[in-house]
Amino acid sequence: MQWWCAATGEPWSWTWQWYPGVHLAVVVLGVAWYLLGRAQRWSTRPWGWFLTAMVALLATLDWPVGKLGAGYLASVHTLQFLLLTLLVAPALIRSIPDDGWPHSARPGSRTFGAFRLLAHPLIALVAYDTLVVVTHFPSVVDGAMTTQLGSFGIDLAWLVAGLLLWWPIAAPAPIGRLGMFGKMGFLFAATIIPTIPAMMMVFSDWPLYELYELAPRVVPHFSANEDIQLAGLTMKLFGDIPLWIATAVIFFRGTAHTRSNAGA
Amino acid sequence: MRFGRAVIATLAIAACAPGAPPSSGPFRGAELDRPLPKPALVFTDSRGQPFDLVQATADRVTLLFFGYTHCPDICPVHLANIAAVLDKMPDDVQRDVMVVFVTTDPARDSLAVLDRWVTGFDSRFVGLTGDSATIADAQAQLGLIPALRTAAQERNHYGVGHATQVIAFTRDGLARVQYPFGTRQRDWAEDIPKLVAFGRPPDAGTD
Repeated sequence: MQWWCAATGEPWSWTWQWYPGVHLAVVVLGVAWYLLGRAQRWSTRPWGWFLTAMVALLATLDWPVGKLGAGYLASVHTLQFLLLTLLVAPALIRSIPDDGWPHSARPGSRTFGAFRLLAHPLIALVAYDTLVVVTHFPSVVDGAMTTQLGSFGIDLAWLVAGLLLWWPIAAPAPIGRLGMFGKMGFLFAATIIPTIPAMMMVFSDWPLYELYELAPRVVPHFSANEDIQLAGLTMKLFGDIPLWIATAVIFFRGTAHTRSNAGA
Repeated sequence: MRFGRAVIATLAIAACAPGAPPSSGPFRGAELDRPLPKPALVFTDSRGQPFDLVQATADRVTLLFFGYTHCPDICPVHLANIAAVLDKMPDDVQRDVMVVFVTTDPARDSLAVLDRWVTGFDSRFVGLTGDSATIADAQAQLGLIPALRTAAQERNHYGVGHATQVIAFTRDGLARVQYPFGTRQRDWAEDIPKLVAFGRPPDAGTD
């Protein structure tokens, strides 16, 4: 039995396949979220955010997206990256209400110190960029995706990368330390380094990844070159747009807040 | 059926290419210990015309591959990769290379099916069919394991185990290098110009 989606080299089939590891991960997260809320006596449960995170996680890692991304199409692999970093991760952070964080990280505690350190924009940015670049190295992708553990490791790394990306933006005070312009600058900076792997995929003379170059075709005459170029374009375009939207939201909320304070 | 197909594919792969030692010569592909002559056989091309393999490919580098259009993995990957590389080669190199695909499934690969499939990769690729004896003879002359049809669970729903390597003939008509499944585009990009240049007098023009 395959617990986690990984490249097998078998011809693609539209027959449904069960990956118990993915479902187990969702159940564990669900139970942990429920128990955490009960233990910390949250004033409210952000069900919408939590359900968004779980549904997106399931859609990203389960059949068919999980299987396609793990062993057949680089463009789907990139879609998984975007879903994990830009949807699942921020939704998970928002699924814990503001009054939950002081219980998890009491001011002055080590956990608080660690959370505050990770909310430092430079530290978060370097860690995020490092994870993104390393998990897109051809040797890492070709080596890791052929084993269930390696494939799980890449997925986990992307989820952690997403948490690092959004933590300086979404962390509640006093953990978070960035103001409106700081958050906007941080999001802009976060678009720079991922451009490198994206452009390597687009402009490389030959397919960057052996795994996807030699994978059984899913769509006839959709070549590995086109697939990997599409992956690079997807990573750049659809990776940046949500960050621009978030930047705009932060700006307009910030200015509205300033106006309302000035009017009061 | 899937298990049977997997076994045959595994055997085919194990029996042929990847076991070949890495080339010690100028090529990225595996050089044959003893060059083999091009089989002197007449096939039928996908337009229904007779195709004398030796005459029709004379004085050109020929990349010969046995497979079938229903192949779910190896055949389309090989042909797509060669097509992608040739597309980026200079015109004179493109003109000097012929890619010839011989079906090992003549029952299902009608001329129309074969033509549509092969030219879908590159309009210059040639698809060949023939009677079973001719196809088997060609494989035997090149020392390839014979293609083998797996048991069908449903009518017309079967796989064909076949040799997975592409055989490269230089312009002198001798098979010198073979390319197992797993050969990447960058390998082809390095070897195709070498195959074209092989045996050509140093002062020979490219046009």
